[in-house]
Amino acid sequence: MSFRLFLLPLVLGGQLSATAAAPPDTLSPADTELFEKKIRPVLVEPCYSCHSEQAAQNKQLRGGLRLDSRAGIRKGGDSGPAIVAGKPAASLLLQALRYETLEMPPRAPLSAAVIANFQLWITRGAPDPRAGATAAKPRIDLEKGRLHWAYRPIEKPRLPGTARASAVSPIDTFVNARREAAKLPRAPVATRRVLVRRLYFDLFGIPPTPSQIERFLRDESPAATERLVSQLLASPRFGERWGRHWLDVVRFAESITLRGFLFPEAWRYRDYVIDAWNNDLPFDRFIREQVAGDLLPATSLEEQQRAAIATTVLTLGNNNLEDQDKAKLRMDVVDEQLEIISRGFLAQTIGCARCHDHKFDPIPTRDYYALAGILRNTRTLKHANVSKWIELPLPVSADRAAELRQWETEAATLKKRIAQLKTVAQGGATPLPLKQVAGIVVDDQQAQKTGSWMQSQFTKSYVGTGYQHDRGEGKGEKNATFQALLPADDTYEVRFAYTPGQNRSPAVPVTVFYADGKKTVTVNQKQRPPIGGRFISLGRYRFVRNEKAKVVVDNRGTTGVVIIDAVQFLPRALADKKPAAAAKPQPASPELLSQLEKQLQALTAKTAARPKYMSVQEEEQIEDTQIHIRGNVHTLGDVVPRGFLQVAMIGPQPTVPQDHSGRRELADWIAGRRNPLTARVLVNRLWQWLFGFGLVRTPDNFGRTGGTPSHPQLLNYLAARSLERNWSIKSVLREMVLSQTYQLSSQPLDSGTQLDPENILLWRMHHRRLDAESLLDAMLTVNGSLRGEVGGPTIRTGTANDYGYQHGGERRAVYWPVLRNSLPQIFELFDFANPSMVTGKRDVSNTAPQALFLMNNPWVLQQAERAADHFLREKQLNDAERLRYVFLATVGRPPEPAEAQAMLEFLTNSVQDKMTHQLRWTQVIHALFGSIDFRYLP
Amino acid sequence: MLPFAANRRQALGAAACGFGQLALHGLLPASAGASAPIQTPHFAPRAKRVIFLFMQGGPSQVDTFDYKPLLEKRHGTNLAFDDARTIAKTGKRGSSQLVKKSLWKFRQYGESGRWVSDLFPEIGSHADQLCMLHSLHTEGIAHGPATLFLHCGATNLVRPSMGSWVHYGLGSENDNLPGFVSICPSPGNGGARNYDNAFLPPMYRGTTLGSAGRPAADARIKNLVNKRYQPGQQQQQYALLQALNAAQLARHSADATLDSVIGSFELAWRMQRDAPSVLDLERETEATLRLYGINQKETNDFGRECLLARRMCEAGVRYIQVTYGDSGANPAWDQHSNLPKHADHARRVDRPIAGLLTDLKQRGLLEDTLVWWGAEFGRTPYAQDRGTGRDHNPNGFTVWLAGGGVKPGIAFGATDEFGHMAVQEKIHMHDLHATILHLMGIDHQRLTYRYSGRDFRLTDVHGRVVQEIF
Repeated sequence: MSFRLFLLPLVLGGQLSATAAAPPDTLSPADTELFEKKIRPVLVEPCYSCHSEQAAQNKQLRGGLRLDSRAGIRKGGDSGPAIVAGKPAASLLLQALRYETLEMPPRAPLSAAVIANFQLWITRGAPDPRAGATAAKPRIDLEKGRLHWAYRPIEKPRLPGTARASAVSPIDTFVNARREAAKLPRAPVATRRVLVRRLYFDLFGIPPTPSQIERFLRDESPAATERLVSQLLASPRFGERWGRHWLDVVRFAESITLRGFLFPEAWRYRDYVIDAWNNDLPFDRFIREQVAGDLLPATSLEEQQRAAIATTVLTLGNNNLEDQDKAKLRMDVVDEQLEIISRGFLAQTIGCARCHDHKFDPIPTRDYYALAGILRNTRTLKHANVSKWIELPLPVSADRAAELRQWETEAATLKKRIAQLKTVAQGGATPLPLKQVAGIVVDDQQAQKTGSWMQSQFTKSYVGTGYQHDRGEGKGEKNATFQALLPADDTYEVRFAYTPGQNRSPAVPVTVFYADGKKTVTVNQKQRPPIGGRFISLGRYRFVRNEKAKVVVDNRGTTGVVIIDAVQFLPRALADKKPAAAAKPQPASPELLSQLEKQLQALTAKTAARPKYMSVQEEEQIEDTQIHIRGNVHTLGDVVPRGFLQVAMIGPQPTVPQDHSGRRELADWIAGRRNPLTARVLVNRLWQWLFGFGLVRTPDNFGRTGGTPSHPQLLNYLAARSLERNWSIKSVLREMVLSQTYQLSSQPLDSGTQLDPENILLWRMHHRRLDAESLLDAMLTVNGSLRGEVGGPTIRTGTANDYGYQHGGERRAVYWPVLRNSLPQIFELFDFANPSMVTGKRDVSNTAPQALFLMNNPWVLQQAERAADHFLREKQLNDAERLRYVFLATVGRPPEPAEAQAMLEFLTNSVQDKMTHQLRWTQVIHALFGSIDFRYLP
Repeated sequence: MLPFAANRRQALGAAACGFGQLALHGLLPASAGASAPIQTPHFAPRAKRVIFLFMQGGPSQVDTFDYKPLLEKRHGTNLAFDDARTIAKTGKRGSSQLVKKSLWKFRQYGESGRWVSDLFPEIGSHADQLCMLHSLHTEGIAHGPATLFLHCGATNLVRPSMGSWVHYGLGSENDNLPGFVSICPSPGNGGARNYDNAFLPPMYRGTTLGSAGRPAADARIKNLVNKRYQPGQQQQQYALLQALNAAQLARHSADATLDSVIGSFELAWRMQRDAPSVLDLERETEATLRLYGINQKETNDFGRECLLARRMCEAGVRYIQVTYGDSGANPAWDQHSNLPKHADHARRVDRPIAGLLTDLKQRGLLEDTLVWWGAEFGRTPYAQDRGTGRDHNPNGFTVWLAGGGVKPGIAFGATDEFGHMAVQEKIHMHDLHATILHLMGIDHQRLTYRYSGRDFRLTDVHGRVVQEIF
C-alpha cells in the first residue's frame, strides 16, 4: 500500500496534520490521541462484533468488512473501501454512520458528535496505529473444479468384461457388474402380471383395464413386452404422463399467489410440453425452444407458433409483482429464471453465487452475473405499481398477419381521430401547469379535505398535477376547503376549475366566503367549463388583505361524481382583460363520435380475437450487467461480460453478440453436444421417473453438495446413448424399460436388505407409491369415467382469481388447473410438486391427512360409489366373480384367499336389500382405494 | 423398528382372520403419522408454543401503542419525511408531508404506565403483561412483499413459513393434531405461501382452518367427517380397510416402509375421533364465551378464532396463527383513507385478544405460550396524499409479545419523535424471527435445511436475538 500525502485546505480545530497518512510508527501525539480516545473505542464497540477477525472466526463477519486493522478498514468489504483517507465524502463508512446508504450500526445511529469525530479523523487522513493485515480471499480454482465427475466430457464407456451372458442389454451389464462386485443377490424377474401394470403406470400413469391385462398375459411370444412398450410409447397418454414430469421441473402453474392472478394462457405451454414428449421432439430442440424459441428461425408457421409458446416457461415464476423496488424485482425475476435453467437443465445450484462465490462448487459470482446479464436483457414483466407479465399475439400466417396489420393500422388511425375530436370537445385536453394560471391559485392538492377523495388524471383538462373526486359516494361526508391569503384589498373574480364528464354531478354547491358574507353557487359539472374549458366563474367578491379567503366545495345532497381541481382568485384588473381570441376548433357532433367509436369497437373485436400466449421480449437496450455486491441491486460492482459457466465449458467460450440478449447462445451452449451436464442430467431424470430414484439421487444438483452417481459408467453410457440417438427421449426410455433391471421384482431379499437396504445397487425394483395424478387417474379409470379429451384451457370460464377454486371433473389430473392458491386437495396432500419451485424429485410421504382424505373426502366416496354402480351393471356375475373383476380393475390381480374371504364375509354379512348391497360394494371398493396394492406399484 | 413392525404385523395378521372383531383403536401404540418427531431444542426453551395474532393490512402504530405527543403539536403542518414509497419509486428523500395527529386519545395503563390508545381499552388493561417492541422495521413497502417477509423472511423468493420452520425444528407436542395450524388465513397477499413448507418436507406445511373473510364458526379441518356412512357403517368399513391392508402387508413381507400406511390410517382414525372436540367451542362455559366476546355481533368471529387458538394450545399444537384480515388487495387494517375505520377493526379484536390473554393466564398457559401481536408493517405518522388516511410504513412500527419468557410490562426500542423511523434499539423483522425462535429454544443460526446445495435459514444470513427482553 502506498501512502499519499494530502495538503488539507481546512484547518480543523487548529490541528493541521501534515502527515495525514503516516505509517503507524510515526503517528503524531495529537493523531494518536484522536484515534485512541475518539475512534478506537467506537470501532471496538459496536463495530467489531460484526467487522473483525474475531467476528470472522465466530462466523459473525458481515459484509466481508474488517475494521480491526489499518489495512482492513482501508481495503473495506463487499461494498468497497470503508474509508478513503482524507476524503470523508468518498468514505462509505461515514455515509453508513450517517444512515445515508447503509445504516450502521444497525440498531441505532451514533450521536452526531461521534460521527463528527469520524469525519475529522478521515479528513486528517485516518491516522491509524493498528497493525495486522486481512487475508486474501481464496480464489476458485476452475481447473481443479473441472475434475468433478459432472464436468468431465461425456465418453461412452466400454462394457465391463465381467458382463454375464444372460444380460439382455448394456444397462444390465453395468448394473450386474456393480451388483456382483458387491456380492448382492438379484431379485427374480417380476411376473408378467406385475410387469404389465408397471408399464402402464410408468408410461401412461393409469392402470391397465382387466382386458388389457388379459390380452398381454395371453400373448406369450418373446416379443410381447416390446410390442406393448411400442404401443404405449406411441399413445397420446404417454405425453400426458411424461410431460407432467417435465412440468414439475419447470414449476408450471396457471396463477400466482399474489392476489390470485390467473395466467389465462399458461395452458398453451402445458400442451406444448405434452405434444413435445408425444412427438419425441429431440431434447436439444426442446431446450432451444424453451430458452430462445422466439428468436429461432422457423420453417413453418406451426413450428414458429410452437417455439414461441415454449418460451412461456420463462414467465411462469411466482413473482411478487407488487414489489415496489422494481430494480430488485427485475433481478429477482432473472434469478428465478436462472434457477429454472440452471437446476432444470444443468443441475447446477448457481443461485448461491448471486451473493458470493459459490462456497462448494467452482462457480464464481462473475459467472452468475455473466448468465444474469443474458436474462436481464430479456424483458419478462411490464413494470407498474403491480407489474404484469407479457402476453403477445400468437404468430399467424403472412396473409393473416397482413390483414391484422391492416386492421391495426385502421384502428390506430381511428383512435387518434377520436382522441382529437374528444380533445376539442373538452377544450384542449392537455393539463395546465399551475404556474400558467394568473392571479392566486389554490390547487386541489393544497385544499383541506374531509372524507375520502380519490386522485385522478383521467380527464386531461385539469390544472396542476391532477384532480380529485368523491367517487360518487359518501354523500354529505366530504368537503374541500380552498384557502388563500390575498395580497391586497380588492375585488377578485373567483373561478373554480373542474374536469367535466357525463358521470358528474349536475349541481355542486360551491360556497365563497368573502369580506361581506358568503354566497353559494351551484355548478353543473356535466357541462364544459366556459372559461378555456377549465374554469367557471363564481362571480366577483370583495376580499380584505391578509384575511383568509375561502371557497368550500361540498358533496352534500349531490348526485353523481363531484370534482375538485383548483380555485383561482383573479384581481379585477386582470379579470377585466379580454383573453386573446384563439381560433377554437369546433367540437365534433356526438353522432359522428359515436359512429367512429362503433367502427373502432368492431375493429378491436376483430383484432382481439387473435390468440395470445405468454412470453418474453428482448430489451431495447442490450447491455452487460454489473456484479451486485451481496446480491443487492443497489450496490453495484464490476461489469461482467455476458457468458456461461466456465467450469462446464469444454472448448472455447462462445461469444455473445452486442445487439441481442444472448439467449440463443445460451440455448446453444446448454443444448450443445459438448456440454458435459445436459445429457447426464436428462438421462438421470428419465431413470428416476422410471425407477423412483436417479442414478444420482439429487437430480437437480450435480455439484459437490449433490449425490455421486451410483453407477457412473451407466450414467455416461446413457448420456452418450441419448446423444447417439439424436436426443430421442423415447429411444432411451425404451432401452431402459426393456432392460432386465427394470423388469425385476420389487420383493426384497433378506441378504439384499442387509447389505444394501436402500437398493442403491439395484438388486431389485423399488416398490413405489403412486403419485397424486396416478391416484386420481386410477380412481377415474377404475369406475370408467375418465375422459380422454386432450389439451385446451381448463380454468372454468368466468373465474376471476384462484381463491377457493372448486376443482372437479373427469379429465386426467394433468389437465386440472395448477392454481397456486388453490391446488386440488389430492395434489396438495399427495406430494404434488410445489408449483413455485424446481422439483426434480417429489416427496413421498405417508400421512394421516392423506388417510383422512381417502377415508372421508366426498370426491373419493363419489368415485367409489360410481365404481360400485359400474361393476354392479354386470348382472350375470355372482359376488365372488364380481370381486375377482373388481380386484383386477383396481389392483391388477385376483384376490388372495385371505382377501377374498374377508371381502365376501363383509358383503354377505348384512341385510340383503338392494340399497345395502350397493353400499357394501361401495365400501369394498372404497377399502380397495385405500389399500396398499392400489396405492403402491410393486 | 423391526420387532415393533413384527408385532404390528402379527397383530394385524391375526385381526385379518376375524376382522369383524378387530378393535378399532387402542389396539396399537401411536406410530408414524402426521406428527413430526420431537427434536431436542438447542437450549432450554422459554416458550413451548406460539400464538401469532396477525393484524393483516398494518395497524397504525401512532394510533395504537406508540404514543407521540409531538404529532398533536405539529398536526396540519408540512414537514419533510423520508417516505418509503416515494424513495422506492423515485429515490427522493425528504418529501413534504402533512403531519396527522392520532384520532384517538392515549392513556396510561397499569403499574407499568404503558401508553395505549382508546382503540384498545381492553388490551390496555393487560398492559402490565405486554412486552412492547416499538422499533420494528422490515422489508417491502407493498402488502405482497411485506406479508411474505413477515411470514417467510423473504419478500419474493419461495421460502418456508415460520410456522413450518418451528414445526420442523421442534416437532409436535401431540399425536393426533397437526403441529402448525393457521386459523382463517387470508388467500390474498401471498396466500398459501404464508403457511407453505416450500422446500421443507410436506408434513411441515401449515394446516388451515377456515379462511379470512368467512365466518369463523365454519372453520373446519378438512375431511374429518364422513358424510356418507353412518358411524357404525364407517367403523365396519374402516375395519375392512385395515384388514385388507394387513393382508397386503403380509404379501410384502420385508418392506418396512409400508407399515406407515397402516399407521397413517390409525392416526387418521384417532384424529377423526379427537380433533372435533378440540374444535368444538360449545363445550366452553358461558363465562368463557363471554370473555372472548363470542355470540356478540362484532367480536363473534375473531373471538372464536382466539378461543380455537387457546384450545389448540392446550391440545399441544406448536405454532398457531390467527389472522384478522380478508382477501382484499387492501386488507382489513389498510386505511389509506378513512382512518376512523381503524376503530371498527379494533372493536372486533380488542375483547377477543384481551380475553385470550386472561384465559391463557388463568389456565397457567401464558407461562410457556408466547403471544405475538403484529402486522406486516405499520403506517406513516403523516396523512397519505394529505388525505384522510395513512400509507404503509415499513421503517418503524410496533409489535408486542406476551407470556413465553418475555419481560412483562416493558417497552423496548423506540421510533423517532414522530413515530416514523425506528431509531433506538432497532429490531429488524429478521431479528424478531431470531428472537422468537430463541424463546422456543432454537438457535436461528443452527436451524437449517439443506436444499439446492446449501443450508437455508429462516433468517437468511441475518438476525440478532434481542436478549434484552428476556
